[in-house]
Formats: sequence, C-alpha cells, structure tokens
Amino acid sequence: MWATLVSAIAFGVVLASIIAIAAMGFTIQFGLTNVLNLSFGSIMTVGAFAAYLGLEQGINAWYGLVVGGLTGAVVTLVLGRGVFRLYARRGAKLFEMMMVTLGLGLVIDYTVQAISRNNVYQFTVLQAAPLRFGPIIVTPTQLIVIALGAAIFLALEGLLRFSRIGKALRAMAAEPSLARSCGIRTGQVVIVTWLLSGFLCGLAGVVYIINSQSVGYTTGQDFLPLVVAAAILGGVGSPGGAAAAALLMGVVTQVVAAFGSAEYSTVAGFGILVVVLLTRPSSVLSRGSAETRLTI
Amino acid sequence: MSAWSFYISTLVVYFGVDLLSGISLNLQYGYAGVINFGYIIFQAVGAYAAAVVTLGPSGGAASFQQYVFGANLPFPLPLLVAAAAGAVLAAVVGAFSMRRMRRDYQAAVLLIVSLIAIQVVEADVPLFNGSNGLTGVPRPLLWLPLSLQGYQWAYAAWVLALGGAVYLLVRWLSHSPWGRALRAMRDQEDAATALGLNITAMRMQVFIIGGAIAGLSGGLLVEYIGAWSPDAWGYAETFVIFTAIFVGGVGNYRGVLLGVLLVPIIFLELPRFLPQIGYPGLTDSLEWIVIGLLWMLCLLLRPRGLLPERRFLARPEPTRDSA
Repeated sequence: MWATLVSAIAFGVVLASIIAIAAMGFTIQFGLTNVLNLSFGSIMTVGAFAAYLGLEQGINAWYGLVVGGLTGAVVTLVLGRGVFRLYARRGAKLFEMMMVTLGLGLVIDYTVQAISRNNVYQFTVLQAAPLRFGPIIVTPTQLIVIALGAAIFLALEGLLRFSRIGKALRAMAAEPSLARSCGIRTGQVVIVTWLLSGFLCGLAGVVYIINSQSVGYTTGQDFLPLVVAAAILGGVGSPGGAAAAALLMGVVTQVVAAFGSAEYSTVAGFGILVVVLLTRPSSVLSRGSAETRLTI
Repeated sequence: MSAWSFYISTLVVYFGVDLLSGISLNLQYGYAGVINFGYIIFQAVGAYAAAVVTLGPSGGAASFQQYVFGANLPFPLPLLVAAAAGAVLAAVVGAFSMRRMRRDYQAAVLLIVSLIAIQVVEADVPLFNGSNGLTGVPRPLLWLPLSLQGYQWAYAAWVLALGGAVYLLVRWLSHSPWGRALRAMRDQEDAATALGLNITAMRMQVFIIGGAIAGLSGGLLVEYIGAWSPDAWGYAETFVIFTAIFVGGVGNYRGVLLGVLLVPIIFLELPRFLPQIGYPGLTDSLEWIVIGLLWMLCLLLRPRGLLPERRFLARPEPTRDSA
C-alpha cells in the first residue's frame, strides 16, 4: 500500500517534470503575448522529431535535447513573427488568434503525419539498469528528467527575477504600454519570449519522448491537455504556478493510475482543473468589454 | 449508373448530417459567441447512444463487441435517445464550461474535454468497445418494400427532411427575441448583463440545444453507416464544420448551407476521385493540411465568410397607411 503510493508519487514527479517544462513555456508565451497557442503541442512534436532525426544522424542524446529546443525556438519565432503578427495586424482578437493557432496546429500535425508516413518511431536513448531507493524503482533516465525539470524551473525563475531581460519581460506581461513608455524595447522582448517559450516547447517534446521512448505525429497533441490545464490552473504568466500545478496534476494522475483505473488517470488530472473552475472562477473571469489585447 | 446513384445518395446523407452540425455550431458560435471546440463529442455521444439502443443487449466481454446498456428500441426512438444523450452531455460539460470566463479559456477547456473524451473511450473498452468501436448497427425500417437504391434515397430524403426542419426551427429561434438577446450577449456582454439578461443561463440553453442537434446528427449518421469508432470523431472533425461556417458565413444560415455544401463535399469527398499519390494514407494527410490552410486563409481574408451576417439597423417602423 505505502510502497505503491510512494512509487506512484515518484512516477508522478517524473510526469510532472515533463508537464512543467512545457507548461512553463506555454504560460510565459501566453502571459506576455496573450496568444493562447493551441499549436504548442504540434511544435512539441516538431522538436521531438528533430531530435529523432538528429539521433538517426548519430549525434549524442544530450545534443538531441539542444537540437529539439533550438528547433522549437526557431519554429516558434518564425510563426510568431510571420504568421501570428500578420493576423494581429489585420485586427484579429484573442479568440480569432486562438483559432488561427488551431488551424496552424492542424497543418503542422498532418504535415508531420505525411512526412513520417503515419508511423510511430522507437526513440531509445540513455538505457541503463534501474536504481532502487527503498520502495521506489526509477531508471536513471527518469532521474535525469526530474533533474532537468528542476534545473529549468530554477534557471527560469532566476532569469525572470534577476536578469535585465527577465525584468523587462515581467514588466511587459503586466502592462505593455507602460513598459514601452518606460523605455523597454518591447519588440525585442517579444522576440525573446517567442525564442524562450519555443525552446522550452521543443525541449519538452524531446524530454517527453525520452521518457515514453516513441515518437509519432500525435505525440504533442496528446500531451497538450495536461500542459494547457497546468498553465490555466497555475495562473497564466506565472512559471512558478505552472510548475506547482504540474506537480499536482502529475502526482494525482499517477496515484489514480496506481490505485484506481489507468483509463481515467488523465481525466483525474483534468478534474482538478474543473474543480478549480467551479470553486475559484476569479482566476479565469472574463474582463467583459475591456478585453486583453494581443502584444506580438 | 447504380454506383453513381448510390454515391450521390450517400453524399446527400452526409450533407444533411453536416448541415445539422453547421446549424448547431452556427447557433453556438455565430449567434451566441460560444466557441465549442468540443463539438464532435456531442455528435459522438449521440451516435454511441443510438447504436447501443438498437444493437440489443450486450453479450458482455465474451462477445466480439461489448458496450453498456444494450436495448432494442424501434425506429425512431433511437434518434430521440441520441438527441437526449447529446443534450445531457452538453448539460454536464456546460455546467463547468459555460460559466462566466474568458472566451479563449472556454474554448481551450472544451478542446481539452474533446481530447480527453477520446482517450477515455479508447481506454475504457467495456463502455463502447474501445478503439475498435461498435459495428453491425442495423439500419432502421429495413422491412419497407424498397429496393436497395430506393432505400438509399428514402434515407437521404429522411435526413434532408430532418435537416430542413431543424434549419427552419433554429432560424426561427434565432430571429426571435431570444435570438436577439443571444447576439446582444455575443457583442456586448456587459451591456447585456446590465439589461438584465442572464448570461450563464442563455449560454447553457444554447449549449444544450446545440448538443441535442449534434446528438441527433450522430444518431442519423450511425444508423446510416452502421458503425462508430473513435476514428470517426477525432478532434479535427470539429474543425471541418468550423471551416464550413467560416467559409460560408458566420451568423448567417444561408452561409451555413453554402459552407456545408462547399467544404466537406469538395475538400473531403472530391479527392476520392483524384489518383492515389504516394503511399496509402498520404491523400488523407494532404486533405487535412488543405482544410487547415483553408481555415487559416478564411480567417485572414474573409473572417466573416462569403455570406456575412446581415447587419440589423435600427430604423423607424414603417407606418401602416403607407403600406
């Protein structure tokens, strides 16, 4: 009983680390640009496939993480400056922009499907004997995933709190026009946001397939519900909140899978979001006519 | 020409079903501003409900397919069950998603519901036979003295008749005072609240009516094709209908007719006649890419569609003696 619970929690932390990396990227992007980017999962898939192709070429798995992250960053920047800005200039509002991102996700997903011939590919790296800590059995890979999640969380918090660009980023997320009149180069901050969130997105895609050991065109889209739910649950624009929400959802998902039914574990994770929507709706309240504007 | 007759009648059935979907989404999005990115689960639940109440009692895990609550209801009761199932699911989902929240959050939550629903149905086999789905759903009224072709056309006419009836009913509803209240809510939520309209209740009404229509469309579809599985209701299916109303015209029922005629028929059916290119399945991927691009192009060039919503201008009532 206790052993099952403890090991379920350990698995939950592993899952949470992956959700957290993606959700932190998502929440930074959403908090600053106000684009609810539903093609985020598709870009995760692209990053994951880039790492897969890299490994096929014989590069080291660690570089695979970098390749996935950079691919995500570049793709996100190109889409942000190229596609999203085009629509914003034509007067697209928040939910129109969200629809654009959905159509874009569809295009990316099925392009990947066409190129990957609708196959699921094995992605096996970092194979090593599992380690045993009391009742918990983890593979070194899972430990690395947890360490990576924690390291990225700390690095991101440090960046946002102490660096100049991080402060500019937070100022702009709070009030873009005020930030601009204080002399912050808002255009540059937006570019940094696309790059940073895209990097986290691609990285999360690679970490996800390192853990699941396979990659297919639905990889990112299957994972998207947990990411968006964690970002909304944690309060948009707050990486700390996203990480905490990811931890909660990861642990609940795995505990339900261990004790209840595996089929409903994702539903349980989503159930937390529903409970929050019902009990604390102030976090997602509409602001009526004074709607938030896109800053891209 | 029997193959052609068969094909055309099939297209007519699909057109009727898609028309119902278009009407439902246009009521929700075009009139009330509710972005239902989970539309397809309401059609799916209608299809599953209609299937299990026509298939007869389930044989349990031993038989080749298992499902909950088997029954053997006569036509047209399964359609009523389908519509009711859509409405009930809409009430449940609406209970947490139709509250006052930002519209983009709302849409994201509905999309998540749609993505998770499919995971659950695939994983929970005893519910609706998992990813293999239900097959062998009998067609209704097969005892009618009709040839195969006659039956095809009779079914197509029946679907069209139902589609037409719902079309007229929903158009009438949309032009009623209730429909005007919906548009007020869509355009100026604060002002509508200030006028005393109950926003949450109105959203719930729209969501449940739309859910019932979606369930009905699912029931009609499953009674025609005889099978239903998670492959038939991927999240992307919702966006075919959304693309149709974007192309045709948001908030305009004639636009919905046009869009439903153009998008699912031209972009999903016509490619069947093109020569197969590449490996099997490539054409399917390309179809979805075209749908996605079309969707983005519409949002860029004609966000209100080919036949946009007509503006209602406040003008004085014409005096009776001048008429």
